[in-house]
Amino acid sequence: MSFCLDNYLQQSEDYEILLSQSGFKECAEEIRKNSKEIVHINPGEKILGIRLIGVPPIPVGINQDKKTVCITYTKPCNGTSAIELPVEQEDIDEILMKNIDYKR
Amino acid sequence: MKALLLLGCPEVPSQTPMAIYAIDKLTDMGYDVTVSSNPAAAKLVKVSDPKKYYKHENVNIDNFLDQVEGSDFDLILGFVHKDSAATYFITYCTLMTDVKAIALVFQRDSSLVEEYAQMVAQSTDAEIIKSKAYHNPNPIRVSLDKALNKLKEENNN
Repeated sequence: MSFCLDNYLQQSEDYEILLSQSGFKECAEEIRKNSKEIVHINPGEKILGIRLIGVPPIPVGINQDKKTVCITYTKPCNGTSAIELPVEQEDIDEILMKNIDYKR
Repeated sequence: MKALLLLGCPEVPSQTPMAIYAIDKLTDMGYDVTVSSNPAAAKLVKVSDPKKYYKHENVNIDNFLDQVEGSDFDLILGFVHKDSAATYFITYCTLMTDVKAIALVFQRDSSLVEEYAQMVAQSTDAEIIKSKAYHNPNPIRVSLDKALNKLKEENNN
């Protein structure tokens, strides 16, 4: 079964909330500060089983050494949070494929 | 014609009456209305209309993102009163290319109104209507009426 972030956040505890229930701009900045590599994704692209919500270009942080990614996670009432979570290499590859900087 | 009404967090008191009002107006203009929202916002609209007088379809704001790309909507009208509402509206607009978009931006703090309007303006081609209003829906209603009258003229031409 493919990775689903909504289920993962409900069932796991090994993720880190970098910034909770904030604005998109603040979370994007937090991701830039906490990531060794940044790629940019268009709003509405599906990664880790969810559609990314936000203002383009949406930064996604990749830490290859820790095998983690940092992403924004938005809900209508809770605002945007920045979270770092462990992923498989195939998830990182999927994100890199959707990198709009690379496509240019 | 089909219209998508995008609601934000229902904690803003003007949202539910404005949603009912917008459904009524859009229906009169000949649109079939679909309301995209989270379950709490949908429930407030549902309880406000026990006899289901204001016809519309309900969809979940997150799940429906999987279906909007290439959909046949003619209009997206978004209520933008929080940072998250602006980001959802921008995301829907990015997926629904070539669809007429109207952002109804309202908040009690005029600096927030400007901030959300700027977010939408920088990332979409949406027509932006601004109101400094929160509890009182009348300024928002007046702004929406103006935008819908303009749209009516555009549709007739």
